[in-house]
Amino acid sequence: MRIVRSLLFSACFLACALASFAQNVPYDRILHADREPQSWLTYGGSYKSQQFSALKQVNKLNVSQLKVAWIYQPTHPMSNVEASPIVADGVMYIVEPPSTVVALDVRTGLRLWTYSPPLPEHIVAIGLYSTSRGVAVLDDTVYLAEADAYLVAISAKNGAVRWRVHVADNVMGYAMTGPPLAINGKIIVGIGGSEAAVRGFIDAYDAKTGKRLWRLWTTPRPGEPGADTWGVGAPESAGATTWNNGSYDHDLNLIYWGTGNPAPDFNDDDRPGDNLYTCSLLAIDADTGKLKWYFQFSPHENHDWDSDEPVVLFEAPIDGKPRKLIGFANRNGFYYVLDRVTGKFITGRPFVRETWAKGLDENGRPIPAPNQQPTLGAGTLVYPSITGGVDWTSPSYSPQTGLFYVSVHEMGAYFIKGTGKIEPGPPKGIVGGGGIRALAGDQAVGAIRALEATTGKMKWEFRMLGPAWIPVLSTAGGLVFSGSDEGNFFALDADTGKPLWDFFLGFAARSNPTSFEVDGKQYIFISAGNIFVAFKLP
Amino acid sequence: MRVIRSRWAAAVLLAICEVRASPLSSAQQTATASPAPAEQFPGKPIYETRCSSCHGLDGAGVLGPNIQGVPLRLGDGPVTSIITNGLPGTGMAAFGGVLKSDEIQQIVDYLRSLGRKDTGVATGDPAKGKIVYDSSGCSSCHIIRGEGGANGPDLTMVGAKRGVNYLKTAILYPGTDLPQDPVRLESGGMTQYLFVHVVTKDGQAMDGTRVIEDSFRIVLKDANGKFHSFRKGDLRELKKEPGKSVMASYKDKLSADEVNNLVAYLAGLKEAYQ
Repeated sequence: MRIVRSLLFSACFLACALASFAQNVPYDRILHADREPQSWLTYGGSYKSQQFSALKQVNKLNVSQLKVAWIYQPTHPMSNVEASPIVADGVMYIVEPPSTVVALDVRTGLRLWTYSPPLPEHIVAIGLYSTSRGVAVLDDTVYLAEADAYLVAISAKNGAVRWRVHVADNVMGYAMTGPPLAINGKIIVGIGGSEAAVRGFIDAYDAKTGKRLWRLWTTPRPGEPGADTWGVGAPESAGATTWNNGSYDHDLNLIYWGTGNPAPDFNDDDRPGDNLYTCSLLAIDADTGKLKWYFQFSPHENHDWDSDEPVVLFEAPIDGKPRKLIGFANRNGFYYVLDRVTGKFITGRPFVRETWAKGLDENGRPIPAPNQQPTLGAGTLVYPSITGGVDWTSPSYSPQTGLFYVSVHEMGAYFIKGTGKIEPGPPKGIVGGGGIRALAGDQAVGAIRALEATTGKMKWEFRMLGPAWIPVLSTAGGLVFSGSDEGNFFALDADTGKPLWDFFLGFAARSNPTSFEVDGKQYIFISAGNIFVAFKLP
Repeated sequence: MRVIRSRWAAAVLLAICEVRASPLSSAQQTATASPAPAEQFPGKPIYETRCSSCHGLDGAGVLGPNIQGVPLRLGDGPVTSIITNGLPGTGMAAFGGVLKSDEIQQIVDYLRSLGRKDTGVATGDPAKGKIVYDSSGCSSCHIIRGEGGANGPDLTMVGAKRGVNYLKTAILYPGTDLPQDPVRLESGGMTQYLFVHVVTKDGQAMDGTRVIEDSFRIVLKDANGKFHSFRKGDLRELKKEPGKSVMASYKDKLSADEVNNLVAYLAGLKEAYQ
């Protein structure tokens, strides 16, 4: 009798547990992510990629009491974690490098299941790390862009594979690190490998079957629009890879996605012209994959200043009229405000020291400064450095303050021209050669800067010892969370930049700080080195 | 205001930790050897395509750390192992499946050459230089083969790491070319032995060299070798003084011959302490 009771109890417990982890995230939930701040449903929190949490249990008055709730540590050694979590219905989905998906119980940090794809023994990764910045979730399925350039769909309940498709040839230098974007019935992915001189594209796949629905190449072939921006008789265009995440406007049915540098990066001898659509922001029709408009931040780029940064969508009045806008802190050192309906430039200004442009013209095109191109030998000193004013790490926009928060690099470098050219066949290394010499000493600093989102004017800054590669989160609790490259994780007053709390993680964070709520408790979450850390109030 | 000033002037404090290397292995070197130019190394093009995007063309670090001359500090074997197997927990990938073993060795050879600043020739008498070293209080701050103080850099292999001109400048004008932390931050670097002056909110002042610093804290080492940890928010003043050194100049304390002899002695220190 006791045994029967025990079995009954176990069965009941199991049923309850499974019920509490029942996973179903239909498109409508993601579209209205702002209605459920207890979840974190996309890479940047919503289709607007604002890195903003409407939760305010943790606020200016009590953030100093924030404590570690749990730490998840993978069971095998690995490279730096860069994955940001998706959190829904008490379950968190993360990725251990290079491509292992893990589902965790948000309450405890305990592992529920894992999935590892059949990766080749050697993954080609040129100019990038074999890692993942996270998964996407749609309905009851988790989607991962693998390091070997496959896209896989697995069950959100147990990690079982539903389909797995070949996106591109890893042997040729194609690799995937960015989180997919899940919209209504479609999974959108980008690709990396500009340093291997691959040709960029953005793909859409049927979420249920894995069938490819469309592909938008991000550089033209002869005869196609934009081909004349690569010079007459130029070799096949390469670059403009799409290695990060995009944003989405349901009403406009437009996907917004950034592109990377042209190839070869530091040798521009064979690619005269603007080199469309490198270092650009693309607005893409979600149904057809057709390019609706583009905005090129850095024409004819040769400093490695990709434009793959997350695309922040927000709404604000311009000249008294409500507008749909994009705020973009570009690696080239300029902050841009664009109209996201038309792609028209509204305003822009430097958000860090820059020496390569005298400014932007009325269309947002940079006005080049003299003698700021890479040169042979000792090179040319240029600000910002190769890492840019900010690299791929997510900024944050707070609808409460109207401020755009970004972790900036104040740093220059000597840029050295390469002499190598694109060769047929699998890449042997970074194509083209060249590179940079970093300035020595304590000459580089970092800061969290709060910019007025509609103008780019700086309202405050919090200085850090060195430039950091750490994304930013703002919350309705009046806080901004980010970190330093020395290993600090901290909270600032969103209105003033005053530090209110800090915790030493021991290693630089690389993932998005995120926030969610379970059982009435707000969590602040970050990864650093090999660990994932959840904080909450006592 | 209580000022904690120092006994620094008693000793020669040479900043050595950043490698200024010759491309030859230590066993092959002599005090007057002129290193081969970096262009002669077959590992140079391999390094530039495989390594420079993270470590910089000059090895001074960009996304990864400063690895100039790193085989001199760690040895060829460990560096070969790191390149072959990667470093779990960091961004350092394994190249064992990508590069052949002789290519990895060529990279190691090239790394030894990176960061070299000068190729001067030592003209003094090393034996007389040792007498200068022993009689001038150098060992109160520096260690050679396990003997000496710990406030300054270990000089056991300084001749393999530093050029003659650098050594002479460090004795006569300390602080003018302080080394950079070889463990570079993701982007940027830290000057080693940086002179720092702090004053706490309750008025206590202190001078010291920076041991480590982050965005919220700084640790200094005082003249007695004691560590002091401060939260920056608790400080009224935090003044970094690049170009200044806690080591006093020996320009007016030693004759030109004594300096040359001391340099020759230091330049000959190339073997690791076994």
